[in-house]
Amino acid sequence: MKSGQALLIVFLSLLFAWAGQIALGYFQVGRLEPILNEETNYPEPPVPSGLAQTGARVFASQGCIECHSLSVRGPSGSSDLTRGWGPRRTVPRDYLFREPALIGSARVGSDLSNIGLRIPDSKDLMMHLWNPRMRNPNSTCPPHPWLFEKKVAGPRLENEALPIPTKDWKQILPTYQAKSLVAYLQSLHSDYALPEAPIK
Amino acid sequence: MTSSLPTFSKATAAATILLVGSISWALVGAGLQVLSTLQLLIPSLAYILPIPWISYGKLTPLTTFLFTYGWITSGFLGVLTILIPRISGIPFRYGRVLAGAAILWNVAVLVGLAEILWNGSTGLISMPFSRSVTALFFLSFIILGTGLTRGLGRSWKTGPLLPRLYLLGALLAFPLGLGTAELLLRGGLAPGALQIMMQFVWNSFLHHLWLTPLALVLLFQLLPVLTGRPVGSLSLGLLCWVATITLGGWIGNSLASEGPVPSWLQSAGVVSTLLLGIAVWGNGTLLKALLEGKWEECRRQVALRFLAVGLWSYLASYAWLAFLALPAVRQTTTFTIVAQATQTLLLFSFYGNVLAGAIYALLPASRAMGWPSHPALTIHFWFSTIGLGLIASSYSLAGIFQGLALNDPGVPMSTISSYLRPFLCTVLVGQVLWWIGQLSFSTLFFASLLKLFPSVAPAAIFPADYEDPSPLLTEGKY
Repeated sequence: MKSGQALLIVFLSLLFAWAGQIALGYFQVGRLEPILNEETNYPEPPVPSGLAQTGARVFASQGCIECHSLSVRGPSGSSDLTRGWGPRRTVPRDYLFREPALIGSARVGSDLSNIGLRIPDSKDLMMHLWNPRMRNPNSTCPPHPWLFEKKVAGPRLENEALPIPTKDWKQILPTYQAKSLVAYLQSLHSDYALPEAPIK
Repeated sequence: MTSSLPTFSKATAAATILLVGSISWALVGAGLQVLSTLQLLIPSLAYILPIPWISYGKLTPLTTFLFTYGWITSGFLGVLTILIPRISGIPFRYGRVLAGAAILWNVAVLVGLAEILWNGSTGLISMPFSRSVTALFFLSFIILGTGLTRGLGRSWKTGPLLPRLYLLGALLAFPLGLGTAELLLRGGLAPGALQIMMQFVWNSFLHHLWLTPLALVLLFQLLPVLTGRPVGSLSLGLLCWVATITLGGWIGNSLASEGPVPSWLQSAGVVSTLLLGIAVWGNGTLLKALLEGKWEECRRQVALRFLAVGLWSYLASYAWLAFLALPAVRQTTTFTIVAQATQTLLLFSFYGNVLAGAIYALLPASRAMGWPSHPALTIHFWFSTIGLGLIASSYSLAGIFQGLALNDPGVPMSTISSYLRPFLCTVLVGQVLWWIGQLSFSTLFFASLLKLFPSVAPAAIFPADYEDPSPLLTEGKY
């Protein structure tokens, strides 16, 4: 075999893998658009807020994705729906506005695709980030105290302060990172039906 | 002792920098990996010592990054810098530029390490670093890759074909994969679901079109030299090469189960993985034939034994991937720590053993040095092998149990975590053993580089068999 022939084979082989997945994938998935909900006049999936988009980066940087997945599988061969991880399976359109788009590799913890539905209250999510064992004593999730700061409290606790007794008249306040992470977690919900994934 | 030829000496500095970097990153990564597993095993540690930059979420992507880009890639580039001018007969020019590129590669790894520790990972599969690190890798690769391809075309007909073909494939796949991933994942060109597909494609390119072909370059070049036998069938070798290069980029999608990846791509991934298994079997047939009847030499020679274990791990890794791609198995093992077993088999067992064998075989040809017949050789082999056996088997079993339990909605998540603990204990023991093996290897490596041993031979021989080492590995054989 001549070197030119080898080069051509390599080029065509790599092009086959690249074009087959990326180019065809682009035509199938890259052109998906949101569905307009005619009742609410909002697009579905909903466009996340700027704070939630910042939170997606905090989510990635804290390595939450090492233990949690972001994809609910259908009823055949998995118990995701029975476990209550979502009202329907996840489909490509659900990731339309996710930046960065993450899926996860292991489920040491539960799937978070619909954590915004399961824990809608921001205080509960904040408490989980501060100390997961305050909500669930058996939790294996690590605490993230560095996402909070302790400040001397005035006559009253601030609205954002966690309802936790502290020493020395201090209150525990979420940082911008914690707020954005909670906004991102709240934005994770797929309680809307899509043509390819109806809610039964 | 082998002496280095002056014509080849210009690349010695680059090779040494890359290999020193590789072995150092392996040691750092191994230590951090133990810390990471300890945190998964004892979650209370994070409550006792809540330190952000050593959290499980940061250490896990960091160790994968260090092993993939620091240890294996740097090491492969280092041994290829020694090997390629010898098989082409055309020495490198511009040694300082190559040495600069080698430093740049290690700087990129250092910057990536600092970024992940301080700012955290990007969360992207096989790409946990920022754009600046990609730029550094690219720049370094262009220089090192140009150096490696130099002479490849001009000496095409003067040596074994298969190593050159695999090298050609790898050298084209790496920039194509990394460049596309960078553009689509961070260039704002791809919407959400396409980004996830791109991550799987990059993961495939990185492992099956970059690292696996580089490991095959070393196996197809070194095993015939060390055993004194030529590869049996060039036609079968060519067929397997075409299959590897064509299918390697597709198999990442077999890891997905529903979700963002279209079903046809998942099916294509499954079919590619199974077909690639046949190509691997073909390569295995060719390479195993070289080792037939060479049991005594494998027992005696360190390089040959590591390469033989690397070859068996190659077959085991792809057989394991084919098993995981089967639809019924995939439904059970997706989103479990079976992924860690796959990583152990590919990264540590296959690439790691081939790299160790290549360093033992090639370093004396590059520098005026040899290996002592020291007990550290035995420690390196047995501690690494037993360690990897424990890690891979524990992760595999744990992942299968985890998958079965996840599919039973009656089993709570906290119970599933408790199922994992005994396996994680074994993984931890395996990781400590592997670390000891690496410490032993690095001690030998650095002491040999500094010529601290009074008695050395060009071919590393296990101490029990050290009598009269016949210098199989001489300069001219490469």
